[in-house]
Amino acid sequence: MQIYINNLTFAYGIKTVINNLSITLNQGDYLVVKGKNGTGKTTFIKCLLGVNEVKPGTIFYDKTDITNFKKWTTFGYVSQSLDNFNYEFPITVLELLNVSSTKGTMPQDRLKLLDKMKIFDIQNQNINSLSGGQLQRVFIVRAMLNNPKILILDEPTASIDKQNKEFFYQTVDDLNKNGITVILITHSDELEHLNYTHTLTMYDDYTNSFSIRNEGGEA
Amino acid sequence: MFLSFITDLFQQDFMLRALAAGFMLGILAPLLGSIVVVRRLSFIADTLGHFSLVGISVSLFLSSLGFSYFFEKPLYLGIIFSVIGGLLIEFFRRAYTNYKEISMVIVISLGAALSAIFFALASKTGSLYQYLFGSILTVTSYYIYLIFITLFIVSVLFIVFGKQIIAVSFDETSAKFLGINVGLFQIIFMIMLSIVVSVLLEAAGVLLISSMMVIPVAAGMRIGWSYKSTTIISIIFSELSVLVGLWMAYSLTIPSGAAIVSINISILLIVALTKKIINMRRITKIDNAKLK
Ligand SMILES: Nc1ncnc2c1ncn2[C@@H]1O[C@H](COP(=O)(O)OP(=O)(O)O)[C@@H](O)[C@H]1O
Ligand SMILES: [Mg+2]
Repeated sequence: MQIYINNLTFAYGIKTVINNLSITLNQGDYLVVKGKNGTGKTTFIKCLLGVNEVKPGTIFYDKTDITNFKKWTTFGYVSQSLDNFNYEFPITVLELLNVSSTKGTMPQDRLKLLDKMKIFDIQNQNINSLSGGQLQRVFIVRAMLNNPKILILDEPTASIDKQNKEFFYQTVDDLNKNGITVILITHSDELEHLNYTHTLTMYDDYTNSFSIRNEGGEA
Repeated sequence: MFLSFITDLFQQDFMLRALAAGFMLGILAPLLGSIVVVRRLSFIADTLGHFSLVGISVSLFLSSLGFSYFFEKPLYLGIIFSVIGGLLIEFFRRAYTNYKEISMVIVISLGAALSAIFFALASKTGSLYQYLFGSILTVTSYYIYLIFITLFIVSVLFIVFGKQIIAVSFDETSAKFLGINVGLFQIIFMIMLSIVVSVLLEAAGVLLISSMMVIPVAAGMRIGWSYKSTTIISIIFSELSVLVGLWMAYSLTIPSGAAIVSINISILLIVALTKKIINMRRITKIDNAKLK
């Protein structure tokens, strides 16, 4: 699926957070969105996901305007702080994945994904007993469950320790090589591990710049 | 006392009816209660109960004017008003997006005021007491039939849509990416909850509906290790309180809702205390192990 964003502007009340953002992505691209805290990265993602209404500017998925877009199941999404989740009530990892699987996914697919993310052993543990890093990986598995075409990860490595980080980026690369479009949000500048194709940088004054990575070099 | 309870249980029709009603409500309340807890809606159950009471009072009022049909089956209007109450909550929630609890205060007060007015107009303030605290021992067979239908519909909904119901309840934002229509889900759940609340009203009383739904779940959460085990444990606790509560209501002639809820809370306390003791033992064991 292609993504066309043209002159996107977004404001919370009178505070404009995104100014004239235009990008085009093809299926299989890997976009890194970087910038300091509070520069509008999450706001941008929420526009893409139809949570924030796009007023000036347009977003098209293939030929469909986002206001008419219905196929949200083509997206896999892991939110930043995972705070939309209602914690405390007991539910196991496997139970959560089972209720989150739509028709067509097999139980063994779930196990394969758990294995891939190296959290196979915790499948019968209560979600509430997991560490931040384990939890994050569970939510990534959930986002991958229904074979999305576009995977959006909002600061996914925030609570993952260093040795797991490299392995995590490796996993994202593998997914990307299999043809999935990846949009990865990060506030760090350590991009050397990443095999991205495009970058979008968000600045303190709420401007932004989009660039395509040069062959073999830094964007 | 206990012996006469057992013999009456199987000889008196009213006891059999109470037992059947209690058994079915014992499943229904925590089954929906677990979703209510996950979605943090515990107060909505009480609010809906107050509106259901409006339906009952209006029913009594209309029957005092000579529409006898309403007098025999006040629960129908109870259910209808409960659903109206649910829609009102949604309406006010959208009007006060940043202060959502205001909507419940408005609806619960309106419900209490209207009920009091119509009970008075119907000259039935005497029967208010049983609606406030429950009277499972006096339920009619038509009520049993209503509970049965409700239990059947809720079970079917859970069997067919259980996955979606649980997924949305834990995480509304993810629902969109699972292809679930959240708005539709919220309305269907609100209607289902309104009906169950009205049905619970008879046994638990307006003031104790949410307790019957929430407290067994609160106890189950302390022990359960998964969604399934938590729900099953909650249902067992709920059945236990209904049965013991029924016996207490019968032998001490106290309102059934009050009896059931006292047992519910006792179970919760016992579970919480036991857990605390076990944890303390475990900690001292670990400390001892460290010392060695
Ligand atoms: N719901 C909101 N209402 C008002 N302002 C918001 C809201 N969400 C974010 N903001 C503001 O918009 C700016 C960008 O926030 P955000 O997109 O979360 O940044 P980032 O994800 O890059 O850290 C911040 O100044 C933040 O305070
Ligand atoms: Mg952010």
